[in-house]
Amino acid sequence: MKPRGSLAYRLLGVRPGALLELYRYRLRHHVAEELLAGAGIAVGVALVFGVLLANGSLTGQAGRLVHAVIGSARLDLSARSVDGFPESLAEAAGRLPGVQVASPVLREDVAVAGPRGGRRLVQLIGVTASLTALESEATRNLGAGTLILSGGVGLPGGLASAIGTRAGRPVELISGGQIEHVDVRAVFGNQTIGPVAESPVVVALLPSAQQLTGHPGRVTEVFIRPKPGAQGMVERELRRLAAGRLDVGPADGELRLLDEAAQPVEQSTRLFAAVGLVVGVMLALNAMILTVPDRRRFVAEIRRQGFTSRQVIAILASQAALLGLASSFVGIALGYALARLLFHEVPLILTFAFPISSQQSASAMTVLAAVGCGVLAALCAQLPPALDLRSKAIDEPLRRPGEPGQSIDRATAARLGVLGVLLVLGAIAIALAAPSLTILGGILLVAAVLCLVPALIASIVAALTPIGDRLRGSMLPLALSEVRATATRSVVVVGIAAVAVYGSVAMQGARHDLIRGLDNAVVDYLDTADVWVTTSNNTLNVVPFELKAAQTKLAHTSGVAAVRAYQGALMDFDARRLWLRARSPSAPRMLEPSQMLSGELTLANRRLRAGGWSAISSALAAELHLRVGDSIRLPTPSGVERFGVAAITTNIGWTPGAITINTNDYRRLWRSASPTALEVELRPGIGPQQGRRIVARAILGQRPGLLVQTLAEREAVYKASVNQGLKSLGEISTLLLVASALAIAATISAAIWQRRAQLATLKAQGFVRRQLLRELLLESAILLVGGGLLGAVLGVLGHALASRWLQATTGFPAPFAFGGVQVLLVFGVLAGVSLVAIALPGYSAAKVSPSRTYQW
Amino acid sequence: MSALELHRLVKRYQSGGGEVVRAVDGISLQVAPGELHALYGPSGSGKTTLLALLARLIEPDSGSIHFGGRDVTRLSAADSALYRRRDVGFVFQSFHLMAGATALSNAALKLIADGHSMNGARDLAQHWIERVGLAGRAEHLPAQLSMGERQRVAIARALVNEPRLLLMDEPTGNLDSARSREILALLRDVCHERRIPGVLVTHDPQATAFVDHVHTLRDGRLRAGVEDELVAP
Repeated sequence: MKPRGSLAYRLLGVRPGALLELYRYRLRHHVAEELLAGAGIAVGVALVFGVLLANGSLTGQAGRLVHAVIGSARLDLSARSVDGFPESLAEAAGRLPGVQVASPVLREDVAVAGPRGGRRLVQLIGVTASLTALESEATRNLGAGTLILSGGVGLPGGLASAIGTRAGRPVELISGGQIEHVDVRAVFGNQTIGPVAESPVVVALLPSAQQLTGHPGRVTEVFIRPKPGAQGMVERELRRLAAGRLDVGPADGELRLLDEAAQPVEQSTRLFAAVGLVVGVMLALNAMILTVPDRRRFVAEIRRQGFTSRQVIAILASQAALLGLASSFVGIALGYALARLLFHEVPLILTFAFPISSQQSASAMTVLAAVGCGVLAALCAQLPPALDLRSKAIDEPLRRPGEPGQSIDRATAARLGVLGVLLVLGAIAIALAAPSLTILGGILLVAAVLCLVPALIASIVAALTPIGDRLRGSMLPLALSEVRATATRSVVVVGIAAVAVYGSVAMQGARHDLIRGLDNAVVDYLDTADVWVTTSNNTLNVVPFELKAAQTKLAHTSGVAAVRAYQGALMDFDARRLWLRARSPSAPRMLEPSQMLSGELTLANRRLRAGGWSAISSALAAELHLRVGDSIRLPTPSGVERFGVAAITTNIGWTPGAITINTNDYRRLWRSASPTALEVELRPGIGPQQGRRIVARAILGQRPGLLVQTLAEREAVYKASVNQGLKSLGEISTLLLVASALAIAATISAAIWQRRAQLATLKAQGFVRRQLLRELLLESAILLVGGGLLGAVLGVLGHALASRWLQATTGFPAPFAFGGVQVLLVFGVLAGVSLVAIALPGYSAAKVSPSRTYQW
Repeated sequence: MSALELHRLVKRYQSGGGEVVRAVDGISLQVAPGELHALYGPSGSGKTTLLALLARLIEPDSGSIHFGGRDVTRLSAADSALYRRRDVGFVFQSFHLMAGATALSNAALKLIADGHSMNGARDLAQHWIERVGLAGRAEHLPAQLSMGERQRVAIARALVNEPRLLLMDEPTGNLDSARSREILALLRDVCHERRIPGVLVTHDPQATAFVDHVHTLRDGRLRAGVEDELVAP
């Protein structure tokens, strides 16, 4: 027989058509196992893709938005406060040599309400026609159409439909506590303004925006497009013009700031994606492990028939690729649905500082990465039969009775166990030596879980065997024998259980620590007042309002003991958008005791009241190598100012970091007496609701757009924001657990069903159904308990590492607290779902007739 | 066509207790083109090991096997695969059929490795499926065939590549007398028609009527002739 000379044959050694035929034969007989494997891969891909899509869009969408607005602008001259700077300065920037286009913009956080009611926090952007000269995606199609906005505002289509309005109808714009009714002149869709159509922004002409925000003649930034080759010169000139009072940087500098702020989300995404991938591989391997003996016999037979190693690999790889690709695309669809249904909410706190929304779009890279993970999972599952190619004893799998390749020898289990212990120690060492790499440590722990499983099973069997041998009428010896005999399958089932419990315990534990820490921060932050007056539910409290006369009147109102101004702002400092907080020197305390990490509280409070001192968050202190007693130079609208470091705190829930000063310093340097919140203390005997009414009566007449909330109401807003931000973390870990439990149940059920011949033989020996069912459940329980325990132990360690990372690297308040109940709950869910799902097929299989032993 | 020559072939195994067993102990044998030799022997005498050596599934510890003008014991792994694919047709006691493929597709499997399409391979295998008496069962799956029918599929698979050397391990083990005679006749005819050497391991007493030479393998050593006790009644 002469070989055919086609290119595919020369490359693969087998014709593509023949490869497809061989897989068709496989599917015909093993459709259930392939479906199970495919389902496992799809679940893993869905987890990976859903998480990547939800969180990849965070910075991706912001990037598209920023570039859609700035277009060809390369530089940005921006204010250091919401009050902005004079328009004349923007005009001066435009006249600088080397500047081709200078487009002034006013940006301010406002709220908008439509016919549907409810306020939406958005960013008002006041623009001029010069923005169209930047030829950005958002303005390319506007052209002279910007004039249509005259006297009103334009809304993106997404926002307009969310608040139930359309062009020609009025909306309420709340800025600085004032409510303005303004007409919607235009609603812009994707085709007009690109990705801005889904962003939480309102567009107006600059004069209108200045009037609406009460900042006549002011802008907050200027986008600059230098002439070709003149960027360096223009940047120098801009810095000279800024005179240390304004910031000069790249036009898309906001993206760097968002990257920094979104760090914990990105890191946890990576960890979850890694855990999801491992679970996906395990699930696929789990299902395909049922067919490993058959595959190994197939490989042995075709090698015997003269297929070369290359041809065998081509066959195995093609089957893995087909399964992987088909399952991955199902997983992509599932992951997209997950991202839309469960993971679509952007952490609320990020939206207070960046104009991002929950629009998701999958990039080609995200899809490819997810599909790649699915194919990789399928290829890994083909590894056991492929490993036989190393052996020269070609037909050994055919000559050994029973299921070949099911045993894992003690030496291998011991070596893997040692490796697992080393990985655990390595993870701990990494976390201690380089806290920023703790997430890597978390991934090492996943590998450690897998390595420790064989030794764990061997240990469990060794420990239970003497017990089983002594018990009368127990099915334990039989169960242990089966666990030993099907070691490979047992390892995979235990592995899935362990990884799933590990992931859930670590993530849920860290989440609970974080919530507890942030809740403490919230209580400490807010309980300096009985009633809070703010512009909105923006928990950063950075939007100022004017309330001079009403504030004075309020202070003298019966029932009110004291009124203090609170001032907050966002400050761009290198790559960080810091949260600046300024408390009145007369406040009961300047700092939250629960958030102190370094420094003496009483002394720190005293220093802050005196002025010239600040408290800074730990990540910032670490980056600048600062300790208590050192000083920090802060960029203010009045120029760079030196502050002493009175204390080092957590980040108070804001990832890039927080700085605390007093309101006297703030007023002097930010040249603003406008509060961003009022802290109202009530006299003894005045209840919270009564107090709220008193305050509302005093101020809402002048500023109807302000929010008056009791301490409890304000705390609830903060805690809701915290929970919202961490909600997806909890959802992902629950999903992981449930998916793993169902996969374990499906695999054990399939394995039980395959063992009907063996069960028939036992029945023929005299065992009754009840005994067989006990044996099946006992065997499953041994695997689940073993895997659950291992996962729980390493999960607690993972939890400790994750909380340490949150505290040490990001500065979040997340004091570790062992949650025994939570561990039990995770384990209970996994075991409960699995055992319930196994019970029915186990019951059916145990009913097999003993006469069937002669049929198989 | 080539003769098959074995020269002082030795294969040792270490048993579980550490004892060294000489499964093939210095066997020399010549099988001329067109001859079919039968090997009888008790269980554990080394018959399957000898066939595995001839099929290049395992390496001998010493000795040589000459076929087609070359010492096949010196073949590389890739050349051994080619040798099994193109030169050898064999059926072992433990064989594996693809559960999802029909009898015809299973018989055609080997041809795919030589670059045939599945359809083309099936066309070529059809003749052999008919010659082993499975014309009416060609589209049945293995689960629908009896053990004997599955064995005949394996035999068809061994012949489909028109081998130059036949190696058979109990090819009639699962067949009734009439079928056994048919298969033995087929094997003899193939060897004679194509003038290829064949080695047949068997316990079937009917085989002696269809082969050219009979040998006995005991404790790894070869003797001419067969002892009555080694032939199944």
